[in-house]
Amino acid sequence: MFFGFEQKDLEKGKQAFRTDATHDTEEVPVFTWGDESYDGLGDALQEGGDELNDETFGSVGLVGKDFDFSNTTLPKSSGLPNEQALPPQKFAEPASSDTLYALRRKQDFTTLDSDQPFSSSSQSAESIWDNRSLLSSLPQLDGIFNQSKQAFAEAPVSELPMPQTQKWAPQSSNSGIRTLEEIEAEMRAAAHQSRVQQRELSLQQQLQQEEDRRQQTLHEQELQRQILHQQEQQHQLYLQRLLQQREQQYQRSTPPRMLPASQSPRFLEQQRQLLLLQQQQRAQELQEQLMLEEMERQLLARAALQQQHRQSPIPPSHHRPPSLTPDVYGYQRRQTRSQSPMNNDHRYPGIPQESSPFPSPQNIQLQQRLLSEMAQAEFIRNIQNQDGQGINPVEQEALRAEAMRKILEAEKMEEKRRRKAAKIAYMSRYNDLMTQSDKDFITRIQVSQLVTQDPYADDFYAQVYGAILRSRMGLQSQDERVLIFGSGGGVGLGLNGPKGGGRRPSAMQRMEQQVERIVNNTRKREEEKGVHALQSLQGALGKTSGRSYKAAPRQLLQVDPASGASPAISQAQAFKDPGDRVSNGAEEAAKLGRATLGKAADTTNLIRREPLTQRETLTILEHLYDLVLHVEQLRRDHSLAQDEQQTVEWQQQYDTLVDEIWDSLRVMVPLETSDPHPFISLLIPGKGKRLLPRITRHLSDQKMMTLLTLLVACFSQLDVIKQASVIDYSQDTLERAEAERQTQAFLGNAFQCILPVVAKASLRLVTGLLGLLLDRSNIIMVAQTRPGLALLTLFLSRVELIKADMVNVPEEFEVPTPEEAQQWQLVYDHFFQLLGPHFPMLFPSARMATATDGQVSFDIIDQPAWHFFAALGLHAVPEQQHVLITALREKILDNVTSANKGWVRNDEERQLKLDNVNLLLHVLNLDSSLIVL
Amino acid sequence: MDPSSSSIQEPFDLIRLSLSERVYIKLRGDREVTGVLHAYDGHMNLILSDVEETILIVDPDSATEAPVPVNVAKRKMDMLFVRGDGVILVSPPSRA
Repeated sequence: MFFGFEQKDLEKGKQAFRTDATHDTEEVPVFTWGDESYDGLGDALQEGGDELNDETFGSVGLVGKDFDFSNTTLPKSSGLPNEQALPPQKFAEPASSDTLYALRRKQDFTTLDSDQPFSSSSQSAESIWDNRSLLSSLPQLDGIFNQSKQAFAEAPVSELPMPQTQKWAPQSSNSGIRTLEEIEAEMRAAAHQSRVQQRELSLQQQLQQEEDRRQQTLHEQELQRQILHQQEQQHQLYLQRLLQQREQQYQRSTPPRMLPASQSPRFLEQQRQLLLLQQQQRAQELQEQLMLEEMERQLLARAALQQQHRQSPIPPSHHRPPSLTPDVYGYQRRQTRSQSPMNNDHRYPGIPQESSPFPSPQNIQLQQRLLSEMAQAEFIRNIQNQDGQGINPVEQEALRAEAMRKILEAEKMEEKRRRKAAKIAYMSRYNDLMTQSDKDFITRIQVSQLVTQDPYADDFYAQVYGAILRSRMGLQSQDERVLIFGSGGGVGLGLNGPKGGGRRPSAMQRMEQQVERIVNNTRKREEEKGVHALQSLQGALGKTSGRSYKAAPRQLLQVDPASGASPAISQAQAFKDPGDRVSNGAEEAAKLGRATLGKAADTTNLIRREPLTQRETLTILEHLYDLVLHVEQLRRDHSLAQDEQQTVEWQQQYDTLVDEIWDSLRVMVPLETSDPHPFISLLIPGKGKRLLPRITRHLSDQKMMTLLTLLVACFSQLDVIKQASVIDYSQDTLERAEAERQTQAFLGNAFQCILPVVAKASLRLVTGLLGLLLDRSNIIMVAQTRPGLALLTLFLSRVELIKADMVNVPEEFEVPTPEEAQQWQLVYDHFFQLLGPHFPMLFPSARMATATDGQVSFDIIDQPAWHFFAALGLHAVPEQQHVLITALREKILDNVTSANKGWVRNDEERQLKLDNVNLLLHVLNLDSSLIVL
Repeated sequence: MDPSSSSIQEPFDLIRLSLSERVYIKLRGDREVTGVLHAYDGHMNLILSDVEETILIVDPDSATEAPVPVNVAKRKMDMLFVRGDGVILVSPPSRA
C-alpha cells in the first residue's frame, strides 16, 4: 500500500525530471562507489567565512533573489518571488521541533506553495527527499496543516511566531553551513536516546498512516495532529539513521546494483546533492549581497573622498608618503578578501561561479577605476601639500610622472595577476572530475598495451639502435634498456630510457604496481577458466566500451601462464633426424676435405638435384633469419644464466640452434648436387648476403673453413660473378643498379666474413683454395669481376704475409714445409700463365672503354686492379715481372703521361693516377718518376 | 624442401619471403609500383625503397570513337610508404 504511492511518485518524478531540463544538468550523479578515494564533496562544503552566517541567515532580513538571474540551482522555486515561497513565517512552528525538521518542513512548504497545483515536479522533489516518509503523501497532509493552522496557532508553544532567523540561529552560530553528515550526527544522537520510544511510535505511525489515507479529507483534532507530527519526526529520524547505515554499508562493500532502486546510491547521491545545492545557493546569495554592499561602501567612500578633496584644507594627519603602491595593494587585497570570504579557502576553484565567486568583470573594472582615481586623488593631495610647503613646479611634474608610472605599473601588475588567476581558474575547470580509480583504470588500459612478455624483443629496433648509438658515442654499453617486472612482464623503454630523479621513479613504481595487478588478475582469470585459449584474455582487464582500443594494432596483454618462452620469436621448428644429418654431414665433410686440396670431388653416390628455386631460397632464408634472431636472443640471455646447470642447458640450446642453422645453410650438401650449389643459392638474394656475417659469428673455425672452401669452389656460381659483366655497361639501367647493389652487398657482408678465415689460413690451405678456384672456375672470368679480384688479392697478400712471417718470426709461426712452398709456386705459376694474356682486361676501365667511349674517370674503379697487380708482382719471379710490365706497359705509360702532361682535371686526379701506378712499380722497386718519356 | 612448405601458413608468409626483395605492386587507380620491400603490416601498408611508379592516364575526352589513348607517366622515389587500402596485388617481379 505504501508501495503503490511510492511508485506513483517515482513515476511522476521521472517525468518531471525528463521535462525539467535544468534539472538534468544539475543532478548528474558522480559515481564513486566503493572507492576509498571518494572525493568528499560534502566535506569540502565546509568552508571559511562563518562569521557572516548571521547575516546570511536572517539578521539582515529576508534575502531577495531577484538578482539571481541564472537561477539554476533550485528550479522548483523559480519564477516566484521568495517572499511568496516562505510561508513558514506565517506558519507557527512548535518549539520542540527539531532543526532538521524545521528545515524539511520549510522546504516542503516552499515547494508546495510555489507550485500551487501539485505538479509532478513538486512531488519529485519529495520523492528525492524521502520516498517512504509520510511526506510522500504531503498533498493530503498539507490540507491537514492548512485546516489545523488555526488550532495550531492557539497552542501555547506556537503562539510566538518565530522568525526564520531564529530558527536558523542555533546552527549558523556555531558551524555555519552544515553538511548532511553533521546533521545526521545530531540526528543519530537524538535517535539513540529515543530508540525505544521510536519503535513503538513507528508502529503506531504506520497504523496512523493507514488511517490517514482512508479518510483523506479528515478533520483532525489537535491532539492527533500533534501525535502525528511527533511520529513523523521520529520516523524521519529513523529513516535518517537507516539511510546513513545503508550509505555506510554500500560505501564499504555492497555493489550498487544490489540495492533497490529507491535506496540506490544514485538516490542517495541526489539527496546529498540537493542539500548541497541549497547550501551553495545560500552561499551565493550571501556572496552577491556582500559584493553589492561592498560596492556601495566603496562608492560612498569614493564620493566622500572626492568631496574631501574638493574641500581643500586637508588635515596634516592625512598626509601620506608619496609612494602609493603598497597602500593601493593593501587596499585592494582587503577589498578582495572582504568580497569573497570563501576565496581564502576554496579548494574547488573548478566551480568558481558557485563556491568561490570571482568578481564579475564589471566589478573588476569599477574596482580598477576606483583604485586609479584614488591614487590620483592621493597624488593631488600630495601635490597640494607640497604646494603648501613650496615645492617648485618642475619637481612637481617629475613627481606626477613618477606617480603615474607607478600607478600604471601597479595596474599592469594587477592586470597580469588577474589574467593569471583567470587562466588558472580556466585550466582547473576540470580538476577532480576523475577520481583516482578512473585514472587508475585508464592507466591500466594504457599500460596493458605496453607490457609484453619479452620487452627486449618487442623493443628490438630501438634497443639495438640505442646500443649502436651508445657504442658510437663511446659510452660503456649498458645492457638492455627495459623495465622488467617481477612477474615476467616488462616494458621496453625505447631509446632514452628513464631519466633519473624527479617524479619519474614514483611513476615507475606506480606503473609497476599496475602491471603486477594486471598480470595477476590475468593469471587468476586464466586459472579460473582453465582454458588457455587466447580468447579468454579478452576482457581480462575489464570492459572498455567503444572501439578505440580494439582498433589499436597491438593486442591486449599477451601473457602465457604456462611458459616463459619468448612469443616474439616463433618457436624453432624441431628438425628431423638430427643424428642422420650429422652422420651425412660427416661424410660430406670428408669429401669436401678431399676437394679442398684440388682433387676431384668424389662423385659416387651423389644425387643430383634441381637447384633451389627462388621461392625455396627465400623460404629457407626466412627460416634462417628466425633462427638467427633466436640465437642472438639466446646470446643476450646468456648473462641471465646463473648456476652451472642453467649454463649447461643454455649451451645445449645454443648448440642445437647453431647446428640447425648450419644444416639449413646446406654447406655440407655435396658439391655437385646442383648448379648453383644450394648454399650459393642462398647467397643470391641481398638479404642472404647480409645474413651471412650474422651467422658466421656463431660458427666454429672448422665450420668456417668448410664454408670458405665451398664458397671458393663454387665461386663462379655466385650471381655477383655471373652478373658482373652487367656492371661494365655504363648505361644506367635498373639491372645495372641491381648488380651494383648486389656486388656491394657481397663485398660488404659475405666477403667480410671470410676475411678473418683467410687471414688465419696456412699456406697449404691457401694453395689449396687457389688451386680449387683455378680448377673449378673460369679464372679469367672471375678475375674480371670485383669480388673475384678481391678474393685473388686476398689470397696473394695472405701468402705474402706468410712469407714475411717466415722470415721475421719463424719460431712463432707454423713454418710451411718446402713441399708446401713448392706447391704454392706451382699453383702460382699456373695461375700467372692462365691470366697472363688478359692482364689489361682486368682493369674495369679497359672493359668499359670497349663498351663506351670512356669519358668517365676510371682511376678510382681501377684501384682494386692495381692492388691486385701489386700483390701479383710480389710473388713474381723476374721473368714474370717482365711479362707483367710488358702487359701493363701501355696502361702505365698512359697514366704517367696524363699525369705529367696535365691531361687531368685536377691535382687530385693526377695524384691518384700516379699513386695507382706506383702501387705496382714500388713492388718492382721502380717509381713513376723514373719513367722518362 | 620440408621447411619451405611447412613455414608457410598464411598469405602474409608469402609476402614475408619478399622482404628486402624487389616486388611488383598493383594499386587502385591504374597505378603500378616496383620497389624493394622493406616492411609490411596486417593492413598491407608497405614500405618500399628505390621505387618506380607507373601511372596509366586515360583521357576519355579526346576521342569517343577511336581507341582511347593511354598515357603512361613514370616517376621514381627513393622511399615510399604505400597505404594498404590501395593495394590490389603484390608479387615478385617476373623473371624473364
